[in-house]
Amino acid sequence: MTGVAVGAPRRTAALTARTGTAARWLAACTAALVIFSAFILANDVDPLSVLGTIWTSVLTEPRQVEQILVRATPFALAALAVVVPGRAGLVNVGGEGQVIVGAVAAAGAGMWVGADAAPAVAVTVMVLAAVVAGGAWAGIAAALRLVGDVNEAVTTVLLNFVALYLMLFLILGSWRDDAAMGQATSPEIGPGAKLPLLGTSGVHVGIVVAVIAALVIWFAFTRTTWGFRLTVVGGNPEAARRAGLPVTVLLLSALVLGGVLAGLAGYVHLAGAEYKLRPTFGANIGYIGFLASWLARHRPLAVLVSAAAVAAIAITGNTLQISAGLPAASVNILMGLVLVAVLGWTSVRKADA
Amino acid sequence: MTAPSHRRPPSRIGAPPALLDVVGFTKSFGDVHANTDVDLSVQRGEVHALAGENGAGKSTLLKMIFGVYEPDAGRMFVDGQPVTPGNPAHARALGIGMVFQDLRLVPALTVAENVALSLRTGFRLRMDGLVRRIEEASRSYGLDVDPRAQVRTLSIGERQRVEILKTLMAGARLVILDEPTSVLAPQEVQSLFEVVERLKAEGLGVVIVTHKLNEVRAIADRMTILRRGEVVLNAVAPADYTDGALIEAMVGRAVAPLPRQRRPVDPAGRTLLALSDVRTDGDRGYEALKGIDLDVRAGELVGIAGVAGSGQRELFEVVLGLRPLTSGHVEVRDVDGVPARPRVAAAIPEDPVADSVVPGLSVLQHMVLDGREVPRKGVGVDWAEVGRRTAEADAKVGLDIAAPRRTLSGLSGGNIQRVVLTRELSTFSPVVVAAYPSRGLDIANARRTQEVLLEQRAAGAAVLMVSEDLEELISMADRIVVMHDGHVAGVVAAADADRMALGRLMLGGAA
Amino acid sequence: MIIDILSGGVRGGTSLLFAGLGETISERAGVINLGTEGAMLVGALGGYAVTFHTGSPWLGVLGGAAAGALLALVHAVLVVSRGANQYASGLTLFFLALGLTALFGVDYVSRQITAFTPVKIPVLGDIPVVGPVLFDHDPLVYAGYVVVPLVAWVMFRTRAGLLLRSAGERADALGVNGYSVVAVRYAAVVSGGALAGIGGAHISIAYANSWFENMIAGRGFIAVSLVIFAMWHPVNVLLGAYLFGAALSLASVLQANGVDVNQFALNAIPFLMTLVVLTVLGKRTLRKAPDELLKVLETAKA
Repeated sequence: MTGVAVGAPRRTAALTARTGTAARWLAACTAALVIFSAFILANDVDPLSVLGTIWTSVLTEPRQVEQILVRATPFALAALAVVVPGRAGLVNVGGEGQVIVGAVAAAGAGMWVGADAAPAVAVTVMVLAAVVAGGAWAGIAAALRLVGDVNEAVTTVLLNFVALYLMLFLILGSWRDDAAMGQATSPEIGPGAKLPLLGTSGVHVGIVVAVIAALVIWFAFTRTTWGFRLTVVGGNPEAARRAGLPVTVLLLSALVLGGVLAGLAGYVHLAGAEYKLRPTFGANIGYIGFLASWLARHRPLAVLVSAAAVAAIAITGNTLQISAGLPAASVNILMGLVLVAVLGWTSVRKADA
Repeated sequence: MTAPSHRRPPSRIGAPPALLDVVGFTKSFGDVHANTDVDLSVQRGEVHALAGENGAGKSTLLKMIFGVYEPDAGRMFVDGQPVTPGNPAHARALGIGMVFQDLRLVPALTVAENVALSLRTGFRLRMDGLVRRIEEASRSYGLDVDPRAQVRTLSIGERQRVEILKTLMAGARLVILDEPTSVLAPQEVQSLFEVVERLKAEGLGVVIVTHKLNEVRAIADRMTILRRGEVVLNAVAPADYTDGALIEAMVGRAVAPLPRQRRPVDPAGRTLLALSDVRTDGDRGYEALKGIDLDVRAGELVGIAGVAGSGQRELFEVVLGLRPLTSGHVEVRDVDGVPARPRVAAAIPEDPVADSVVPGLSVLQHMVLDGREVPRKGVGVDWAEVGRRTAEADAKVGLDIAAPRRTLSGLSGGNIQRVVLTRELSTFSPVVVAAYPSRGLDIANARRTQEVLLEQRAAGAAVLMVSEDLEELISMADRIVVMHDGHVAGVVAAADADRMALGRLMLGGAA
Repeated sequence: MIIDILSGGVRGGTSLLFAGLGETISERAGVINLGTEGAMLVGALGGYAVTFHTGSPWLGVLGGAAAGALLALVHAVLVVSRGANQYASGLTLFFLALGLTALFGVDYVSRQITAFTPVKIPVLGDIPVVGPVLFDHDPLVYAGYVVVPLVAWVMFRTRAGLLLRSAGERADALGVNGYSVVAVRYAAVVSGGALAGIGGAHISIAYANSWFENMIAGRGFIAVSLVIFAMWHPVNVLLGAYLFGAALSLASVLQANGVDVNQFALNAIPFLMTLVVLTVLGKRTLRKAPDELLKVLETAKA
């Protein structure tokens, strides 16, 4: 246990570890692409031409890059909704439902203030409604955890379905927009409630919200007492309890804050991209956010990158559908494979002592 | 490193080969040399004691013999034949059986099911036949167990008997017992030794790990002592050595006994910790404390003795406010006598790794987890201030903790314990609760820990301490409270405590 | 109508029963698999596709089991061999299954198959109430009646079951007895996936008799919850599965009987019910949990 002259070898060890990690990531992504190609090939479509089309149409066209950023915005927020509870050792699989509930509340609030409300009023009311609803939805799972010791991964995933049916109940019922011919949608939100675009681009300001949220969470994790305590609870709740930390409050705050972020994701998706609720509104945002969060290994700033990456994959779904006639949901395979590969190649085996 | 091939099992010409011969076992973990060139020889019908301090390399040696670890170098012979046990299954086939210190039984299964797990019988479990076989075997070895009982409901002593029986039924000829006595009451130790004598009479070889010299003298034919991974005394007869010589062999220097002279407890001193009729449930719903009454005064050290699992853990948790009571009252008072929050108490947890260590956090980050206000700077923690306090605490307690930047979860059990002890005992707390404070420490640090606890007592703290070492309790405590099955079975003044009387109380008998 | 609901419970609960039994096996070994939803999805498509190509629903059942087992194998690799987070891996596989079934299922949408048809059991089927509720169903429902005692027997009366329970209660006890925890968990997770696949196949080739995207609609997640409040016992899983089967079939039974209720409100009922039951039984069930599984379930104790 001497601390002499171990600096140099340790540094090289760290360096090789880092290049090793990079190599594993590269191998993971390549493997995912190869398997995905095999699946496409199995459907009698030439994977090389598909990947070529994806490359030229998705990553080289500025319009498409804008699309990616728009898609990435709710993904990033939904991923942060997993990151914050994750820091406390909680697994929030309920982003899906929290996003929907947030959007439903925002849409309801928008209808309540009316389509011609002043933008400031509409935005304020809708944002508040979304974050409160998202937080409350996650709060249900938090409460069940605290009262009945029910695992939150299980409850949050069940609540997703309840949220979905709640939205369908509304848009096929009392919220149904008669103006939309035969389509089951809610009325479009007022013009003042729509999020403005950044300059002349097609990207709405929601992305700024997502970036700020990531920065704030990064700061909170690394520089505040709350973040430190959350880390302790997440690392060893028993140690936190014995250190007299308010474990219940910390767990509750982390999961509710996750719900707030997911609610916010629902809001920006509604006010920035969709403008109305349809039966498919928000589909998979929560799940993709979950994947993006694990891809980023629960690091708040890395989430911005992983969200952009999964958004790019999601966008390719459209290309796939148009150019190869494959279902858009096929890209879920690629997303799933990337994460399988990442979980498989980069997880650390627990020492079997 | 390669095995020196010229080395043979050291047997005399004409004499039958030893049951087990280990020659030159060497094993390193990173830059830690756990075993260096270790020899061990066990004859049939021999009880061989293996002794040494914590971290001397006993467990590593046993795990290599049992095939859990692979030695870096060295050879092993069973009945004179060279063997290389690559895994426990192979070791068992060779007739080597091991009873781990933390007993590897499945608590949710019955005794018979646990035995079935270790026997290679058919796909269908024919329990009735097995139960009969267990009953027969338990009679013939004098190991009294109920084959149909769920292991969870058994005492530690009973579980140990199940493990030994299991090992024997699987055909072991060499039985390795890893610190079997540390969790037993003295009477249980006696009955364990009767079993060991029986195995010896049957011609089996027994390796028993212990560092209690009275036990070595009571049971062992020969003993081997390890220190820092090397053999210091190889297969000697204990009777040829004095206690002092054996201790010196283990620690490398002589250790003076703890001074017995202390200021007596002030009978008019304030009661800082008061429990009245405390009841609480354990983790699995059964009642773990069944009406505990206990007072500890300022300047008093009360020891808790009891067989493991008698409610010690739950008692500490209710004192610290970590476990809700089903009835009764716990009061923790500050020195001025006013009732205070539980965190007036300093706490040494029973299982520091499970209860205190946050993976990935540094020693420094663990130092603020003492239940007091965190020094703040703006919205964050003032780590510079924490660093200053840590250096101060380390200097004061004197357990020489690891560098503040090291990750705590990467340290050994003893080093973790030292960090926890330093954090909890560097400042005065009116109430101190310490579970097994010297567990995992070498003798010097264990001694220093005992001194620090006595310093807290001298400064006017009410100290409550659990230990599995009755000698430690007798030498440190003012009173010893014996727990049995969630009750206080008796209270004895340490000055006139008698080991066997304490043992009877631990087992639920009258003093 | 009561008989319709009860009978619908048995029929609609059969997929939950198979998936729940599979998940029971997996969790008894200490591995929770949220990918059960995914295993049911690939099982539904696998069963449908094989039935379509071979004309035999029995081969379809095998196809469903194989598909579910393959997906669960990935979970086993990630969780058991690579030590990945069980929830993350399970959800990833659910997502992977969503994509795979969308891609490969597109050819099977609105194709006709020779599905399982109800077979009324002579004599027993004629008993009033009990007959229509229990003995007028497709063969997979009857298979469910057999599989429950079979799983219980293997679990509690055989060496395989002993190893399974030991892996979930105290993994290091297997190692010292010369068994491989890894092998036991692989076997448990993969056979659990196969059963979930059969559960999924029941939906496509015996219940809905069609294939469409995301047709499992959360049943896999209900099955996972079911196992928790069934306290890891096969017989309780049977009762719970039929109870939730009844809740799931409530909407169609009510509609068939001309009762005018909002379908989506009814669809939410099984999920709400699951949440309520989990909460009410919460702490009591956890006391029965296998110790190794408890470490996974209690990621953070409040």
